[in-house]
Amino acid sequence: MRETKPTYLKRDFNKWSMGTLAIVVFMGLPIYTIVLRLFSGPGETWQHLVNHVLLDYVLNSVWLLTGCVILTLAMGVSSAWIVSRYRLPGQKWLEWLLILPLAFPSYITAYAYAGFFDYGGSLMLLSQTLGFDPFRMDIMNVPGLVFVLSVSLFPYVYVASRAVFVYQSGRLIEASKLLGANEIKTFFKIVLPMARPGIFAGLLLVIMEVLNDYGAAKYYGVSTFTTGIFRAWFALEEPATAIYLSALLLLIVFAFIFLERWQRGKKSYELASKSNIRLPKIAASKSLRGIFLLVVFLPILFGFLLPVLQLGYWSILTFKTVASASFVAIALKSLGIALLTAFLTVLFALMTLYFPVWNRLKFLRKCGRLAILGYAIPGAVLAIGVMVPTLQLDRWMISVGENVFDMEFGLLLNGTLSVLLYAYIIRFLAVAANPILSNQLKLKKSLSDASRVLGKGPFKTFLKIDLPLLKPSLLAAFILVFVDTMKELPLTLILKPYDFNTLAVKAYEYASDEQIMEASLPALCIVATGVVPIILLNRFILNDKHE
Amino acid sequence: MTNTNKTAALLEIKALCKSFNKGKDYVVDKVELSLKKGDIMALVGESGSGKTTLVRLIAGLETPDSGSILIAGNTVTSNSTFVPPEERKIGMVFQDYALFPHLTVYQNITYGCKDIEKEQLTELLELVGLIGYEGRYPHQLSGGQQQRVALARALAPRPQLLILDEPFSNLDIALKLQLRNEIFEIIQQLGITAIFVTHDTQDAIMIADDIVVLRKGKIVQQGNATSLYNDPNSLYVAALFGSVVPLNVKDLSYFKHTAADSETYAIRLERFQVNAQSTFKVRAIIERSLFFGQQYLNTVKLPNGTLVNFTSAQQLQGEIDLGFERAAVLVFGNTAG
Repeated sequence: MRETKPTYLKRDFNKWSMGTLAIVVFMGLPIYTIVLRLFSGPGETWQHLVNHVLLDYVLNSVWLLTGCVILTLAMGVSSAWIVSRYRLPGQKWLEWLLILPLAFPSYITAYAYAGFFDYGGSLMLLSQTLGFDPFRMDIMNVPGLVFVLSVSLFPYVYVASRAVFVYQSGRLIEASKLLGANEIKTFFKIVLPMARPGIFAGLLLVIMEVLNDYGAAKYYGVSTFTTGIFRAWFALEEPATAIYLSALLLLIVFAFIFLERWQRGKKSYELASKSNIRLPKIAASKSLRGIFLLVVFLPILFGFLLPVLQLGYWSILTFKTVASASFVAIALKSLGIALLTAFLTVLFALMTLYFPVWNRLKFLRKCGRLAILGYAIPGAVLAIGVMVPTLQLDRWMISVGENVFDMEFGLLLNGTLSVLLYAYIIRFLAVAANPILSNQLKLKKSLSDASRVLGKGPFKTFLKIDLPLLKPSLLAAFILVFVDTMKELPLTLILKPYDFNTLAVKAYEYASDEQIMEASLPALCIVATGVVPIILLNRFILNDKHE
Repeated sequence: MTNTNKTAALLEIKALCKSFNKGKDYVVDKVELSLKKGDIMALVGESGSGKTTLVRLIAGLETPDSGSILIAGNTVTSNSTFVPPEERKIGMVFQDYALFPHLTVYQNITYGCKDIEKEQLTELLELVGLIGYEGRYPHQLSGGQQQRVALARALAPRPQLLILDEPFSNLDIALKLQLRNEIFEIIQQLGITAIFVTHDTQDAIMIADDIVVLRKGKIVQQGNATSLYNDPNSLYVAALFGSVVPLNVKDLSYFKHTAADSETYAIRLERFQVNAQSTFKVRAIIERSLFFGQQYLNTVKLPNGTLVNFTSAQQLQGEIDLGFERAAVLVFGNTAG
């Protein structure tokens, strides 16, 4: 008889198991903190919050999410299908112009539109110059925020859908056509259902970003969970209440993640055949072409061109007052911290992906994936999750310093860049890990096996085999994290050192001080640093897939 | 590591078990094996029989649930010991060759060597017929050349045991036959101990001294080619060495011992004789007889419904007698499957 299966802790535990454990603890600390804090009860204002504003938060968030889901789906899927399926003039340009709104953090798009539609704003001036009655609209409300968030976030849906459209459905569309279905039936019966998991993945990112947004909602005066967390933390100075709100928000986020996993189900959306052909492009009829161009152009106009023009116009007006030596210093600091964050995050992503594989304990292998959840946690929540345990550590170090070494010092971690970096790494780990992971999955497992059998240990194997083969995705990961760090606002606002500013914080500060025109120069700088890598990345991703 | 008997087998496997689903099914099930230095062993079995998992366990690429593995008398895997693959001195040729795509042929071959002398490398390149290809990258080589690089790379660090995991499965027939001969010669020339995984018994018959037949993770039979062909202990083993036709007891009323419900009868296809004058025969209906170039391909139906294909010089029609000798009938206990 076979004996009952023993656990080989002693045999299979190695230094990489330690490493895996360390990563899981390090990356998971903020979540554990928030969950643990839930048991110590809410703060004094919690009841007040529940009675008066919580319903507002919930309703506003529901409206925002519903509106943004519908709008981003409409814009993202339609434009993706049109550029993947039809030959249009300026095709190549349209394809990547549609990605560019991603260079805009949504709070900056929000500032631009606030100025555009405002009293005495560009729209009024424009309508007057053209000889109409001065025209303006109030967009500082929930529908306005839905519009702003949607035009800046729809590229997530666009990119995800286009990837599926272009690389998956070629053969199937031919089959569908041969079976007698027309273009519209083929789209709704074959293309869309096949692309659903991809589109949902893009949509999930939109939802995360909407829940994460602080700057836009704050400026438009819409109360959401995130603004509520800020209020509880800074205005009411009640961490316990902020944590309770954070936990609620986390619950919502995890519900969406679960929903996304569940809808993917067990169905396989991969084509069985390896000889996948790309979607063939067809010419659109003359009458359709105009409509198609409009459908593709409007998102570009609203998501990129209009905000750029608005910000550019303001920048010219305010250049002299804003562009100073201290502004250059802030810009350089922003660049520096974004580069450092990108480097460290890629490093941690590699550790998160590889330590569990090198460790031989099976239950730890699965744990690695847990660490990647960070991106799902809204920035404000993560900031609090990071602050609470690091403050505790600081206090502990101070008391140890006093009692054991008889030394006096202040907070060693909080208020320094190290805490901010720690939070950035957790927040962007998934951004870095995803491209690396998908590249890693394409590498044959037998390559590292072969290297091991040929006498090289796991780390040497990684250096000599995996690292060179992962190079392109490492670059992509680095760029993505860099851009995201440049844009990041809520987390930075909470955790940044007192005298430390990033371009994002500077833009936010100007905007909060009703100096929205002055906010445009730092905002444009952020957009510029975002545009270049996005173009590079788009080229690189397309080239990669051509191979 | 405990060094036991010097004359012991190079490889010894004791009660090895491996499951990928927490003990529901065992991919390797209480396997006991031993391999003498210089011998070549073939692991044969249908896909999913656990051949590849077994060699991966030997190489240290998987950890077993229980059991132990000794190489040259040293315990490399047990309930308390695990020597990582990089310290096992095993050469392995992978099914997909696993050539490093970013390294040249030269860099691939010398990857596992601490320092390799120029003469030794030249010798090796000559052996596998790759002189002049040192600077190329794997994707610039044909399938057969890639296969040779994989072999040279596995041999270069002078491993104490060479494992070949389905090395021919990606090659077309003609190339496979040629390479099989070459590789066999190289292995013999070097006198290296080898384990050869294959689902093709012809490979095994040609190359191995000892053939181990696996099914569902268990060793069902072990022996040399002749003994496995002549005296298979199950229909499964018999079928691995050529087509076998199962026979019904009812059809074969002429067998004297009729208490044979617990037994399975079968005959090798090549032992049938058309319209022979033998005592033992089966009446078969000819379903079709198609011209197939040099001869006719016939499909006939035995009384038990089994369809049998064989060739003949002339076109056949109606019914025929398929005769065979008593000694040609294989008898298995039903439990052996």
